Amino acid sequence: MDDFNPAIIAFVCNWCSYAGADKAGGQKLPYPSNVKLIRVMCSGRVDPQFVMKAFREGADGVMVLGCHPGDCHYRNGNMKALRRFKLLERMLSQLGIEKERFKLDWVSAGESARFQELAKKMTDTIKKLGPLHLRGMVESEVA
Amino acid sequence: MNGKKTKIALFLCKCGANIADFIDLKEIESRFSGNDTTSFVETQDLLCSPAGKKNMLETIEKNKPDFVVVAACSPQMHEKTFQEVVADAGINMARMQMANIREQSAWVTTDKKKATLKAIALINAAMERSVLHDDLQPKTMECLTDLIIIGGGMAGIEAALLAANAGRKVTIVEKEISLGGSVIKIEEVAPNMECAPCLLSPRLAAVRDNKNIRVISNASVTDVLGFFGNFKVKIKRMARYVKESCIGCEACFEVCPVTVDNDFNLGLGTKKAISTLFAGSVPAAAAIDKTNCLHFTDGSCNACAAVCPFQSIDFEDTGEDIEVSAGAVIVATGCTTVNPSTVPETGYGKIENVYSMPEFERIASSNGPYGGEIRLKNGEPPRSVAVIHCVGSLSDGGVPYCSGICCMTAIKTGELLRKKNPDVEVYSIHDRLVFNGPEQQAFFEKQKEEGTHFVKTERLRDLRVVQNGTTIEISGPDFQPIAVDMVVLSTGLTPQKGTLALARMLNADLTDAGFFKADHPILRAIGSSIDGVYTAGCCASPCDVTTAITRAQAAAGDAISKLVPGRKIALEVMTTIIDEIKCAGCKLCIAVCPYKAIDFDGQKKVCVVNEAICRGCGTCAATCPGGAARAIHFSDQQIMAEIGGLLHG
Ligand code: FES
Repeated sequence: MDDFNPAIIAFVCNWCSYAGADKAGGQKLPYPSNVKLIRVMCSGRVDPQFVMKAFREGADGVMVLGCHPGDCHYRNGNMKALRRFKLLERMLSQLGIEKERFKLDWVSAGESARFQELAKKMTDTIKKLGPLHLRGMVESEVA
Repeated sequence: MNGKKTKIALFLCKCGANIADFIDLKEIESRFSGNDTTSFVETQDLLCSPAGKKNMLETIEKNKPDFVVVAACSPQMHEKTFQEVVADAGINMARMQMANIREQSAWVTTDKKKATLKAIALINAAMERSVLHDDLQPKTMECLTDLIIIGGGMAGIEAALLAANAGRKVTIVEKEISLGGSVIKIEEVAPNMECAPCLLSPRLAAVRDNKNIRVISNASVTDVLGFFGNFKVKIKRMARYVKESCIGCEACFEVCPVTVDNDFNLGLGTKKAISTLFAGSVPAAAAIDKTNCLHFTDGSCNACAAVCPFQSIDFEDTGEDIEVSAGAVIVATGCTTVNPSTVPETGYGKIENVYSMPEFERIASSNGPYGGEIRLKNGEPPRSVAVIHCVGSLSDGGVPYCSGICCMTAIKTGELLRKKNPDVEVYSIHDRLVFNGPEQQAFFEKQKEEGTHFVKTERLRDLRVVQNGTTIEISGPDFQPIAVDMVVLSTGLTPQKGTLALARMLNADLTDAGFFKADHPILRAIGSSIDGVYTAGCCASPCDVTTAITRAQAAAGDAISKLVPGRKIALEVMTTIIDEIKCAGCKLCIAVCPYKAIDFDGQKKVCVVNEAICRGCGTCAATCPGGAARAIHFSDQQIMAEIGGLLHG
């Protein structure tokens, strides 16, 4: 599995987590290049379909990162994300996607080190799990 | 990508060595040059420099691409810069997409090969997404430029005067019968010991004489509708039974046979059933206390009406429902203090001559119950007074925080007492002392010098206050018992009653402590979580008078700088829109919208976004089961394309 190079998509909100990742960049805190970001205005914008689409298109892991509870730029979009996440987590495991492959967490604009840490941890976790294989019915379900 | 022959221009920035040294830009050039949708790839050294921008502009003008992708630094840094360049070149700004290959790849990937591959994925995602971009046009809206201010204390008054002097029409809604709030109840403001009524009187007169200011007193806000630039505020004015023609001459006070507790003096002393708040109040009109007035209780009295030189008495007054439109709302409802009866060990309410700080302020006030003579219940001046700090502060029962200003107020007690009687003994029983800046510290030193005994205890929670013969004894585990004639309890500050209800009407957030939450705690402390709703004074957090006024001036200044007669206000461009053909009217979007920006059109049975309120978070788009809600510039299709592009870079 050493040469397994997982693909990880992280949806990050514009106001906190994207800025946190930018700060990690500014401070040159290295993290695995496996983690690639997609900017959304708020973590509440992340539609479960996006997560499905990412898995279907070959992602081995998906993260959603938003502002800490109470800090969402749009009042409480992150709490909407949390509610959706709980539901999606259960659905994904029914489809045979381990729950470790999907992670919701909070990163503020200042938490560059936390962002780095989460990116590293997620990559390690997915490396241990191995590539995601979607097959047959599940594949068409996810699709 | 769609079948059309679209052409994308890709600009690669070397960013000095920042990108060029860590990413193989040659490799990227060759990867994308072959692409049939790429019209050209151009690598430049410093794209954001004047020369870089000029070159970019000329290249775009010459090649006329449909879309532009800039692979450079973070969009937080230069999105606007490059949007302007493409706009100058005649391409809609929304057709420019950035790939953040510096912060997200060059600077964080140690291996150059991996960094290059990641950059390719990021650029590919940007390209896939960019071709789906729609043109965006700036949106503006007509706005009202008048202001409504809720709360007529010092902060509300100053906000009103600032805006009114700038020519704006201002309505102040005040719950009491006259303006003045909590500052008018103070004798002197520490540390400068400025006479508070003297500070306020000319400001009250200025409000009264300002044609741009309308004061609705004895009133409360019952509902707030609308949004920044166009609020409608519903107000209930309670009956006061005295017309505006009353000038507060007080002729009726003498003839009124009913005496009641004086609530302006916090129940200390008495007043008549017809009264003003204080002499010289604005509005000047008196009000009748209906529950005690004999005209209303048994119909036996008409004395005030008989004696009034202005025929101002109006027993038929029923109050009034008023609606006021305004562009912005400034909340200046102030704060209140912890009720010391929640701390029974202080003896408050049981032992005579144990007062709360606000009560002491009234006793010491020249417009107070005893004309400024500080007296015990038996009429004697006190020979010794103890002030207990932090009552109900930093504790689970009261407020868990330090209010920051009560130490200053507490030690002012000594200053006020010694002015009346230089020989009075004053004790300050405290744990931590909090003073801000040189003036406050100097004031504290002065109090020590002038004789206040500062008694430090680490066990404020374990104090006992008991009546011992004619004196009050205060004891604690770590100091010698102190016997005094009078005790003053310095209490922390808490949100004003009714804050939650008002916040609900405004749809604004509160902090855990129950104060209005700032739009941003550092950058925009005077904004609430709702556009166009401002906070002034201590409704946002406990503060001193100076800060309260500064906040008021900042709030009013910000509001009038945005609401300018003849100018439209800019609206968020990246809102969500709902396709009425696809909308099934399930209203899930209405339930999740944090701003109540979505209404249900009962006729068409569809949900409709009010673009003046929507801030573009996209939560409704993520919730809509039918795909009818589309987040502009962050649509499902655009994000899906980005996902695909990122994974197949
Ligand atoms: S803006 Fe960051 S989670 Fe909502």
